[in-house]
Amino acid sequence: MNSIGTIPKFSQAADEASQSDIDTPFLEVRGIHKRFGGVHALRGVDLCINPGQIYHLMGENGCGKSTLIKIISGAQPADEGEIRINGEPVTSLDPLGALRAGIETVYQDLSLLPNLSVTENIALSEQLVAADGKLARSLDLGKLTETATRALKSVNLPTDKRFCSTEVAKLPIATRQLVAIARAIASDARLVIMDEPTAALTKREVDNLIEIVDQLRSRGVAVLFVTHKLDEVMSIGGHFIIMRDGEKVQEGDVADYQKTDLSFWMTGRKIDVVRYRTTEIGAENLLVVEGLKRRNAFADVSFSLAHGEIVGVTGLLDSGRNELARALAGVEPADGGSIVLDGKSLHLRRPVDAINEQIGYVPEDRLSEGLFLAKPIQSNIVAQILDDLRDKFGMISKIRSRKMAERLVKDLQIVVADLNNPVQSLSGGNQQRVLIGRGLTIAPKVFVLHGPTVGVDVGSKDTIFRIIQKLSSQGMGVIIVSDDLPELLQNCDRIIVMRRGRIVETFNAENLEENTLYQAMVAENSTGKQS
Amino acid sequence: MSDFTLDGINGGKGESQISRIASWMIRYPPIFTLLLIVIVCVVIGTISPEFWQISNIFDIARASVVTGLFGLGFLVVLAAGGIDMSFAAIAGLMMYWITTAVAAYAPWMPIPAIILLAALGGMVIGIGNGLLVHALKAPAMIVTIGTQYVIHGFLLTFIGTELFVNIPLSMENFGKVELMRVGAQSGSIAILPAYVLVLVVAAVVTWWILNRTLMGRAIFAVGGSADIAERLGYDHRKVQMFVFAYAGLLAGIAGVIHVASNRLANPFDLSGNELNVIAAVVLGGARITGGGGTVIGAVLGVILITLIDNVLILAGIPSTWQTFVIGCFIILAGALFANSSNR
Repeated sequence: MNSIGTIPKFSQAADEASQSDIDTPFLEVRGIHKRFGGVHALRGVDLCINPGQIYHLMGENGCGKSTLIKIISGAQPADEGEIRINGEPVTSLDPLGALRAGIETVYQDLSLLPNLSVTENIALSEQLVAADGKLARSLDLGKLTETATRALKSVNLPTDKRFCSTEVAKLPIATRQLVAIARAIASDARLVIMDEPTAALTKREVDNLIEIVDQLRSRGVAVLFVTHKLDEVMSIGGHFIIMRDGEKVQEGDVADYQKTDLSFWMTGRKIDVVRYRTTEIGAENLLVVEGLKRRNAFADVSFSLAHGEIVGVTGLLDSGRNELARALAGVEPADGGSIVLDGKSLHLRRPVDAINEQIGYVPEDRLSEGLFLAKPIQSNIVAQILDDLRDKFGMISKIRSRKMAERLVKDLQIVVADLNNPVQSLSGGNQQRVLIGRGLTIAPKVFVLHGPTVGVDVGSKDTIFRIIQKLSSQGMGVIIVSDDLPELLQNCDRIIVMRRGRIVETFNAENLEENTLYQAMVAENSTGKQS
Repeated sequence: MSDFTLDGINGGKGESQISRIASWMIRYPPIFTLLLIVIVCVVIGTISPEFWQISNIFDIARASVVTGLFGLGFLVVLAAGGIDMSFAAIAGLMMYWITTAVAAYAPWMPIPAIILLAALGGMVIGIGNGLLVHALKAPAMIVTIGTQYVIHGFLLTFIGTELFVNIPLSMENFGKVELMRVGAQSGSIAILPAYVLVLVVAAVVTWWILNRTLMGRAIFAVGGSADIAERLGYDHRKVQMFVFAYAGLLAGIAGVIHVASNRLANPFDLSGNELNVIAAVVLGGARITGGGGTVIGAVLGVILITLIDNVLILAGIPSTWQTFVIGCFIILAGALFANSSNR
C-alpha cells in the first residue's frame, strides 16, 4: 500500500483538485436526453462530479443509469443536453475523447480483450490515445511495461513477468476485475466509472476494492459506482444519485439517510430487511450427501436436506462452494462419495442425470451458462423438457410448450410483452426468473440455486425470495449457493460455510449475525495469508 | 497478496511429465508444430536414408515460398478474426494478368517493378474485400468465397484460359538466381533459389507488424473481441481494411514468384490451394476463431505441410496418403489447441 507516493502524476492531480474543488466540478452534465426509437431512456438528467469524491449511481434495471454512463464515457452520443469537462463545454464526446479527458470506464463485462496479455490490456490504451487512434505507429514496449507495472502495483496485483504476460482469459474473474481497474487508472484518470464492479466478487475481494477506491480518492480521482447493492453503498459512503424511469429522483450524502430510504427511492416502495423464511421443515430427510469429493475442488462434504428445508452454502471464491453446486447439478461431477435422494443412490455424471433425477439447477452465470440469449423466452423455459413435449409425430408441441411457459410466467411474475421475444430483451431480474421457471419444469424435488440474485435489482430480489419460500412450502428442498450473506440469512434454515474445499461450520440461520457468518468464511485466510 | 496470484492456473504439483509437456505445448503452439516436423523427418529418414540430402531440404524451402506467403497473409486476416478464402484467386489473377501484359506490352520491365505491380494489384483487390466485408457486415468467409469465384471467373472469362509459357525474361531470370549451390556426392547439384528470401523478408515484416506496431496489437484486439476493441477506441474498419489489403499484397507477390519458379503461367494453377494454407496456419497454432497465432507457427505449419506433400513418397508411402496424414495432424492439433482456449 505504498503506491501513493510513488506516482507523481497522481499527487499533482490532487493538488489541482484541491484548488479547483469548490468552483469548477470535473464533469458537469445538464439536461441530458436520450431516445432509443420510441423509448425515452433519459429525460433531462443533471449530474455533477467533483474531484476526489465518491458517487453511487443507483436505480433498478432499465432506469437509464447504464445509458447515462455510456454518454459520459463517449460510447453513445446524447440527443440533447450539455456536457462540460473542467468547465469547458464539450460538443461531442467519443470513446477516445473521453479517455483523453481522463474519464475511464470499467464496464460490467470489464471490456478486457481476452486474448491479449495483462500488460497489453492495461497499457495499450495509453498508446492508442497518444497516437490519436492512428494505428501506423510502432509500439513503445518499455513504456508499455512501465505503465502496466505501475498500475498493477496500485491495485495490489503481482508485477512479475509471468503474471504480466498471462492472457486475460486465463485469469479468475476477480483478478480480471482488478486488471480492468488497473487499466482504468493506468493513465491520468480523473474519473473512474465502475459499472457494478462487485457483482462477481466475494466479500473479501470487495474489501480490497474499497481499499483501492480509497487510495484513488486520496489522489483526487473521482469514482462513480453504478450499483444495486445498498449494503455496499452504505459501507463505502459518499454521494448517491438515484434514478428511476430516466429521471433523477433523489441525491444526497449517504451518511444522512437510511438504507430503507434509498431502496424506497429506487423502487418507489418500501422494502424492509425482513426474514422471508417462514415455513416449517419436514421431518424426513430428502437428500443425504455423504463424503462427496472432487479433486482440486472439495472433499469430505456431508450434509442433509429435509423436505421443505432451505440450506445455504457459502464461502470465498476458492472455498469449493461453486464446484459443489456444479457437482450437485452433474455439470462438473463429483469423483467420490454418495448422493442419496429419497432413498435412492444417485450417480450424477452429466447434467441430464440430475435433470432425470429431478434435481433442478439455476447456474450462477445466467448469460453464459444458463440462457440461450437470442432465443425466445418460451424456448428457454421449456428447454429441459423437450422430450416430454413431443406429440405423436415426434415434433415438439407448440401448444403444450406455450401452456407450460404461460403458466410459469404467471406463477413467477415474469414481465414479458411476448413469449416469442428473445430472452435477452428482458431485464436481469426477469431473465433470472426465466431460469428458475426452466428449473421448475422438471418438477424438482431438490432445487439448487447458484447465486439466484446476482445482478438483480432490489425489487426483483424480493420477488425471487418470495418464490423460493413458496417452493419450499410445497415440500421442495432448496439449496442456495451464494456469497450474498443477507440473502442467505433472510431465506435459509441452515447455512453451511465452506473453506478450502471443506465444510467448516454449519449455522442455524435464525438470529445469526451477518458478521459471525462472515468471520467464519474468512477466518483462516485473513490471519494466515494477508500481509 | 497471494490472493491474486496464479495458483489455480497450472493445477496441482503432482502432474506427470507428459501432461507438463502437453501444457507447455499449449502455451507455445509452435513447439508442437516443430515436434511434428521432427517426427516426420526422423520417420522418413529412418525408412529411407536418402531423405537426408541437401537437395531435399532445398526442395522443401523452394516449395514453401508461395504457400508461405499465402500463409502469412491468412494468418494476419485470421488474427483479426476474419477469414480470407480469396488469396489464391488473387494470386492467380495477378500472376496471369501481369505476366501476359508485361510480355505483350513491356517486356523490358525489371523484376522489382513487376513485383511492385503485382503487390499493388493484389492490395487493391484486398481493399475491395475489406470494404465488402465491412460494408456488408457479412461473415468474411462467405464474402471472400464470393470474391474468389468472381475473381477466378473474371480471369478465365476476360483474360485467358491458355497456358502461357513465354514469360518475360526478367521473370525467368529472377527464378534462376541462386542463393546457394551445393554439389552432392552423386554428382548432382542442389540449388537454393534466391526467391526464398522473399518469404524470409515477408515473415520478418509480418512479425514486426504484428508484434511491434499498434496496428498489430489492434489486429489481435479486434480478433479477440471486435465489440470490446471498438469500445476501447480501436478502429475496426481500419483494421479490416489493413488485413485484407495486406493479405492481397502478399498474394500478388506470391503469384509472381509462382510464375518465376515454374517459368510458366497457368490460369488454373493455385486455386484449390486454400485449404492447404488454412491447414498449415492452423497446424501452426493459430486459432481458427481469431485473435491468436504467431508468425513462427505459421511458417512452421507451412514447412510441415510442404514436407508431407513432398517427401512422403520417399518413404515409400503412396502420395494418396498425403492428405490422410495431414488430416490426422490437423485433428491432433485441433484436439490439443482446443483445450487451451477453455482455460
